Amino acid sequence: MEIEEKLALLNYKTDNQYAHITVNPKICETCPDHFCTFACPASCYKIIDGKLNFKYEDCVECGTCDIACSHGSVTWTNPKGGQGIKYKFG
Amino acid sequence: MSEFDAIVVGAGPAGSSAAIKMANAGLKVLLVERGDPPGTKNVSGGILWGKDLSQIIPDWEKTAPLERFVERKVTSFLTADSEISIDFKTLKFSTDRTGYAVLRTRLDQYLSKKASQAGATVITGITVDSLHMENGKVLGVVNEEDTITSDCVILAEGANPRVAIKAGLRQPPGDDDVALGIKQVYKLPEATINERYNLRGNAGFAGEYVLSFLEDDVYAGGFLYTNKDSISAGVVVSLSKLRENGKTRSFDIMEKFVSHPFISRLLEGGQIQEYSAHLVYEGGYSTMAKLYGNGYMIAGDAAGFSFSNGMVIEGMNYAIASGIMAGEAAIQAKKEGDFSDQSLSRYGRMLEESYAIKDKKTFRGIEKVTWSPLVHRIIPRIAENSMMKLFNETGEPKDHVVRILLDSAFDQGISKSDLLIQGYRLMRRM
Repeated sequence: MEIEEKLALLNYKTDNQYAHITVNPKICETCPDHFCTFACPASCYKIIDGKLNFKYEDCVECGTCDIACSHGSVTWTNPKGGQGIKYKFG
Repeated sequence: MSEFDAIVVGAGPAGSSAAIKMANAGLKVLLVERGDPPGTKNVSGGILWGKDLSQIIPDWEKTAPLERFVERKVTSFLTADSEISIDFKTLKFSTDRTGYAVLRTRLDQYLSKKASQAGATVITGITVDSLHMENGKVLGVVNEEDTITSDCVILAEGANPRVAIKAGLRQPPGDDDVALGIKQVYKLPEATINERYNLRGNAGFAGEYVLSFLEDDVYAGGFLYTNKDSISAGVVVSLSKLRENGKTRSFDIMEKFVSHPFISRLLEGGQIQEYSAHLVYEGGYSTMAKLYGNGYMIAGDAAGFSFSNGMVIEGMNYAIASGIMAGEAAIQAKKEGDFSDQSLSRYGRMLEESYAIKDKKTFRGIEKVTWSPLVHRIIPRIAENSMMKLFNETGEPKDHVVRILLDSAFDQGISKSDLLIQGYRLMRRM
């Protein structure tokens, strides 16, 4: 089963006003490893047309990318109250 | 004058346990949880070991939403073609229950309800952004524009402790401090589970696997736990090894585990209900920060309390135990009207005396073993090779078992003395 199908099973309360994680495109542009694209379990980080593409909407809030990025590009905060991933089982 | 005696950040097992303990003693407690309802942000590694909950909820084994008790415990090496296991099951566990499979949305809602019944004020769907501090003393919590004051704050925010990190009370974790856990829940009928895993009634199966079949130098462990009518299957991936590898994606390792021929048949016919991910603390005693100070204490995963020696993965029990101790320290501090670093050092001393820290000390350096080539590559190959020689009738005269083991090691390019030294180190740390 593809990761996209697995993510499609999840419930989110998406905050369209506030991205709880942001990346600095300038840093990502010159990044030699893009380890985020391998580490993130929700495939939020992808290389599209040679450029890093990040979308916070699929984030499961594990915090891995903040550790994975050793170049200081990721700014990580918790989503605002009650927003974001909503597991049914956990 | 503070609004609360104590504010607890996070309604997981650590936070709710602390809140129950304090509220039972008459303290004015606020329990704040960003998930709504509690548990919806959380992922359990599967099994709640031990009986720490008895201290605050005497009848928890009858009233908590427990899935199944562990009757059968399997520890396995998985190679591409083989599985070599210790498969332990005992009827003794039906009378002396040591572990239960749990799902966190159910467990955490139960625990937070207990905190509410004990008299704590529970608010959900509220994210604590930072601590309200003055001159190094914690005086409350901040949510957007609002500040709520308290004599002390217990940080029980889990494995990704943003508030503690932001306040400089914890170092951000690195590759060697944490591993990445990924889990899938599969729906399966109760009867199918019982038949497939050789279980009856509410007895359950807990399996931990070394995934030595993974290509390159990616190291990961796997787990499989039976719930009432679902299976939790997951992997724990070493971030430092994944970084070194630089070409494998974490979520592909999950797929490789559940596609292994001996795992896939245990999940066959099961519908995936949920995919989830969470950090798992791996760092040993040396990486543990100071867990208290002026007006604050840190408990549970936020304090780095989880443990694995390759045979069991534990975390929720330490969370509950440390939460109760933090609660106890706050109760004493309230009696003395003193929430200073000096007073809350009582929490540090209680931890030192508890199994939570003693385990950390006993197994100091265990992560060097659980993530070693010996465990992830060498032993599985030797074991597989030896078994093949033992069971393969070729018409040639047989060797002694020890000879076969040593020859198999030699086939892997390991000398007898090297094997003895590495084996000794392994035994000493485990």
